[in-house]
Amino acid sequence: MATVAAPAAVARRVPPAPRRRKPRDWPGVGLWIALAVSALIWATPFVFMFLTSVKSKADVSQLPTWNLPTVWEWGNYADAVDTGNLWVTGGNSLMISVIKVPLGLLLSAAAAFALGRLRFRRHKLVLALFAVGSMVPIQIGLGPLFNTMYSLNLLDSRWGLILPYLAFGIPYQIFMLYGFFRAIPDELEESARIDGASTFRIFWQICLPLARPALAALFILDFVATWNEYAMATTLLQSQANWTIPLAVQSFNTQHATDYGALNAFIIMSAVPVLIVYLMFQRYFVQGAFAGAVKG
Amino acid sequence: MRYTRSAAVAISATAALALVTGCGSGGTSDAGSSGSGSSGEKVDLTLWLPTQEDSQKAGLETLVSDFEAANPDITVKYEERSVDDHKTALRQVAGTDAGPDIYWYWEGPGLGGELVNAGMSLDLTKYYDQYGWSDRFSDAALAGITQYGQHDGIPWTLQGEAIYYNKTLFAKAGITGTPTSYDELVADADKLVAAGITPIQFGGTVNWHVMRLLDSLIETECGSTVADALNTTQKGWDSEPCVTDAFTALKTWGEKYINQGFMGISNDDSSQLFYTGQAAMALEGTWFDANLTDNGVNPDDIGIFAFPTGTGRLYGFGEAYYVNATSKHPDEAAKFLDFITSTAEQEKVVGAWAAMSPNVDVAPATGNPLHELWPPIFKAATGLYINNDQNLSLDQTTEYWRIQNSVLTGDIAPADAGAEFQKFIDANS
Amino acid sequence: MTTTTPPVARRDARRADPPRPRAKRSPFVRALPYLVPAGLLYGYFLVYPMIDAVRLSFYDWSGFRTEPQVWVGLRNYVRAFTADPVFWTAFKNSLIWVVLSLAIPMMLSLLLALGLNRKLLGRNLFRSVFYLPAVFASITVAAMWRWIYNPTLGAVNQGLKAIGLESWTHQWLGDPKIALYSVFVAAIWQSVGFNMVLFLAGLQQVPVELVEAARIDGAHGLQIFRNVTLPALRPTFVVVVILTIINSLKVFDLVVGMTGGGPAQSTQVLALWSWTQSFQNHTFGQGSAVATVLLIISLALVVPYLAWALRGEDH
Repeated sequence: MATVAAPAAVARRVPPAPRRRKPRDWPGVGLWIALAVSALIWATPFVFMFLTSVKSKADVSQLPTWNLPTVWEWGNYADAVDTGNLWVTGGNSLMISVIKVPLGLLLSAAAAFALGRLRFRRHKLVLALFAVGSMVPIQIGLGPLFNTMYSLNLLDSRWGLILPYLAFGIPYQIFMLYGFFRAIPDELEESARIDGASTFRIFWQICLPLARPALAALFILDFVATWNEYAMATTLLQSQANWTIPLAVQSFNTQHATDYGALNAFIIMSAVPVLIVYLMFQRYFVQGAFAGAVKG
Repeated sequence: MRYTRSAAVAISATAALALVTGCGSGGTSDAGSSGSGSSGEKVDLTLWLPTQEDSQKAGLETLVSDFEAANPDITVKYEERSVDDHKTALRQVAGTDAGPDIYWYWEGPGLGGELVNAGMSLDLTKYYDQYGWSDRFSDAALAGITQYGQHDGIPWTLQGEAIYYNKTLFAKAGITGTPTSYDELVADADKLVAAGITPIQFGGTVNWHVMRLLDSLIETECGSTVADALNTTQKGWDSEPCVTDAFTALKTWGEKYINQGFMGISNDDSSQLFYTGQAAMALEGTWFDANLTDNGVNPDDIGIFAFPTGTGRLYGFGEAYYVNATSKHPDEAAKFLDFITSTAEQEKVVGAWAAMSPNVDVAPATGNPLHELWPPIFKAATGLYINNDQNLSLDQTTEYWRIQNSVLTGDIAPADAGAEFQKFIDANS
Repeated sequence: MTTTTPPVARRDARRADPPRPRAKRSPFVRALPYLVPAGLLYGYFLVYPMIDAVRLSFYDWSGFRTEPQVWVGLRNYVRAFTADPVFWTAFKNSLIWVVLSLAIPMMLSLLLALGLNRKLLGRNLFRSVFYLPAVFASITVAAMWRWIYNPTLGAVNQGLKAIGLESWTHQWLGDPKIALYSVFVAAIWQSVGFNMVLFLAGLQQVPVELVEAARIDGAHGLQIFRNVTLPALRPTFVVVVILTIINSLKVFDLVVGMTGGGPAQSTQVLALWSWTQSFQNHTFGQGSAVATVLLIISLALVVPYLAWALRGEDH
């Protein structure tokens, strides 16, 4: 019976249309070609980005974007590390993400567990209050948030960024995980309780493991969102020593005549960590991820 | 603050001009380097300034490392930002302790004055007495510092702005002399167009770049008295006919003389056109000397003439180093400012930021041949007219830029532009 | 998961009750420790700033900590609606953005999801290519596309020239008539992948038996889509629609990075205009008034959805 658990993650897939049919599936071929062309279009900006990242300044201003460089200017990458201060800004982004994402997920999971499993009166109202927060644009609160961080003496510090990041990540995650926890069969919890399991054990040893696919998906989403966040960072961080990656990218554009080679090199390098995270958790992505939200 | 602006601008403009034309009193104090760090405690000083060109960075490095050598217990960290980010960052931290100890800023009422108003600038009167700075800097330079009633910062540069032109391209278009009137300037631009050359470059995404043209056109069309009235009292934009003339001229420049596609690129990108000889003119300031040589332009090929407004005034503004009122190390900050403006240090770096040092004992720079083109221009000037983003308040500036750009893109007719601006001023005052 | 294998139940009498464990303490007290950390953070760093923004919208304040906040009643709103030359542009652009986002990228992502839900050669590669832009920071996407749109060196204009369509070249970001749409193209490129994944997830919920049955009955593809797939996708649609609306109202990074709201404020959107007024013009009251308008719009769109989602939850 334990397998009933992973609630929405059960991947039922529409089976592929052709089943021992006539030799050629012409609509399928057409579809494939259409998809391939679209994918090509979608990939083009990346190709441009890469080609530009290995061009010298002279090549950038003289060759068409799609031409191969006359000289492969790998030095752009070294320049980009320098100009964008990659080790510092990347280190800041990494530190913030590594602390914020797991901590945020844990806090959200706890709250979602309380809302979904420990059903108290008006739990839906509380859930709604949380959920509303995931749906208002963060820019609304930026001005007052600046004042708040100032009065806490946390302006221009990485911790001062982590706290509001946590706050802004929580609502969406609670909303997602709530659906997941709700779907866990009651008998499971019942029997554990009869067994004498404490509420905490039920949370930690039953509910959290069952939510693993959702947590994985939320982990990717949250990591990407945290790594890439710009509006709050540009408002709350001032000194370069605290800058995150997106701030470094923005500063790139405006220094001297934009060095497009180094800029593109920096963009590529800045996305490496998110790509790694994405690849690591990719398999959970379609499966469990949104099943909680997309209630069937 | 606004009611004092008119006076403040007038004082600082004329006085600052006197600085460069060389009528400073010759003080001789050189409080320079005193290696006596009072206590053994380590102090970090933070300094914020806009992005520095290579030669300026080298100068800054010299000043900082000399200072650190002389004061081993003080470390100076400096942070650069693009012009707009620098303004935003400082406004954000005004009154907080997230800011730097020392900041570089423009002196005009709309920028430096605003931060002074916000209480961000430390009154340095004590240090002026302690270090004898009043003798080091000319009265003229100090006018920009004392215009708000205390000693706000120390003078660093006086920047003039004028038209840099490419001599080869001018010759190619058959232009023999530099224009002495606005009509001649337009005639020259026409000749350049006829020769297939882009007359002048601007980058429209940073609004203050094209603003230089609009400011100069207002000075040209309105004359200095009316222009000052418009810019500093914020009245008459809807009633002075010269405003419409200025906006009409601006539109003409946008349509005929400015590089194609300028609204979509930044000043950095558009400057490339001048560096590479694809545009014949650039409306830039004294700092551009360094940009040109750093970007490999042959200085012999470049000339400079003041925008022929016909009023005799030069376009320009002063820049200063301010000490943050919330700095925990004002003494060390003052020591640093004293050090970097000392005669010995200034002689090492003069010319990196402007041809003339703020220190009256330091001779003008000779390193960059372009620097030598400036003193005659300053001497010929009868006064200064200041960039309007330094005259107007912040929201007015944003609106001024929107109207300027709307006229250029054809969304506001030149005849309506002045009225539109006045409407905004009246509604938001 | 195997730890949950139930031993023999000892208190069978209770089992008949609805499975709501009745502990001595009230459920709320038990829930409290789990709720409080998230609740505190959420309340202090999100809810409070939002409420404070509403409060500030009734004040005149320069944003400088040394200067006082002065009560002005509704004046900031009156100003925004009647005397602010940019507010209505920003308002209109935000609406355009919402409508366009619902029309174009959402349809594209649905089509992609339908196509990529079949077994295909290289399906995972395709999925990744479409999803890839979504992992890049918007601010870097903006930088990338600004380069693509560069009037002289950019790929778009160079490409048009190369195929002899020089007359089609534009100042993609410098012409106020098209700048907003140029930015929007970058937004399509970036956002399609995420919605595609949502739709793919939704498609997993389409009952296989129904599709099979319909096929056996001889229904062709479009009929199956309309009568089986589409109804099953309805919940997904709601989620995608609501997320699209929210993300459209939030759009900020792309505009900052590509045009900064220009030329001549023609690409301003509410979120950026609020920020610009607060942090660049230093009129925090004005900025907060715009923020409050944005808040009201968001709530008006979101609260009905939440009510629906939570009511339908226990059928």
